[in-house]
Amino acid sequence: MNLGALAVAALPAFIASAVEFVEATTIILAVGVTRGWRAPLYGTVAATITLAIIIATLGVTIVTVVPEHALKAFVGALLLLFGLRWLRKAILRFAGIVALHDEERVYLKEVADLRARGETRTGFDRIGFIVAYKAVLLEGTEVAFIVIAFGAGGAAALNAAVVGAIAAGLFVIALGAALRQPLTMVPENWMKFGVGAILSAFGVFWFAEGLGAEWPGDALSILAILAIFLGASWLSVKMLQGIVPGGAEVVAKNV
Amino acid sequence: MSSGTLTGIWDTVWGLLVEDGSLAVGIVAALAVTWLAAALLADPQRDQVGWLLLAILVVLVVLNARAAGHSARRAVAKG
Repeated sequence: MNLGALAVAALPAFIASAVEFVEATTIILAVGVTRGWRAPLYGTVAATITLAIIIATLGVTIVTVVPEHALKAFVGALLLLFGLRWLRKAILRFAGIVALHDEERVYLKEVADLRARGETRTGFDRIGFIVAYKAVLLEGTEVAFIVIAFGAGGAAALNAAVVGAIAAGLFVIALGAALRQPLTMVPENWMKFGVGAILSAFGVFWFAEGLGAEWPGDALSILAILAIFLGASWLSVKMLQGIVPGGAEVVAKNV
Repeated sequence: MSSGTLTGIWDTVWGLLVEDGSLAVGIVAALAVTWLAAALLADPQRDQVGWLLLAILVVLVVLNARAAGHSARRAVAKG
């Protein structure tokens, strides 16, 4: 695969992973600015190592032990559980039922929480380490799902997905380090809507392939599946705007 | 690796997959129906199970969103 083709193949994973890296960067920035940079950087490195161990052990075991069809079905099922959860949340956000994700607000809340826990002047900052560790582990796990989704098609697709995810990580970290403030310019809510639909579309495609079904046009049918998910989501948003008129913003965790 | 760390990792992965219990149960049921259909159908018809899964999931998402909307409306009414 030449460099241009690799860049095109890596683009979906780049965009999807960038959203996750933006969220992790916001938390790490908040910790670093409030409590110093040593502990969050150690937390980030520790979480990255944990993720690498999980992916290396579980991933390699699954790929080498599980037969190809069963693996596709397994990956498809995981993608559906993950992607539809994301899509549902995006629908509720665009309907005004759940507040839109706001990096500035997340950042300010995190800074306030961390300041309330008190400053650490001496010794290792355990709180800063744990907050950064958990944030990177959570968002990193989501990136792992994204890489699996786009890489399940074979070695070339997996390589492209890994390259896309790493490039997104480097890009977002560099941007965060340069700006030293939350990356509010990234249209996260729109991106999450799209990524939720894309992961769900890949989930349907892989699960059916895993059961031995063949799609018309092979991977091109993913576009049709994606269009159907996006159409259904748009209809759901319109329906919800009718049920809860005026986009009344309800901060209720049970919806 | 301590048990606390492992519990944290498990909670993280579980939270990623199951935020809304009814949606997760619905997805698992849809996968089971699709698997059953694929097991029962012969070759040319088996290719349609993907579309069956898609149809079930679309209905599931719309119904789940509708239920969330009604739940939100009740929350607004309660103030």
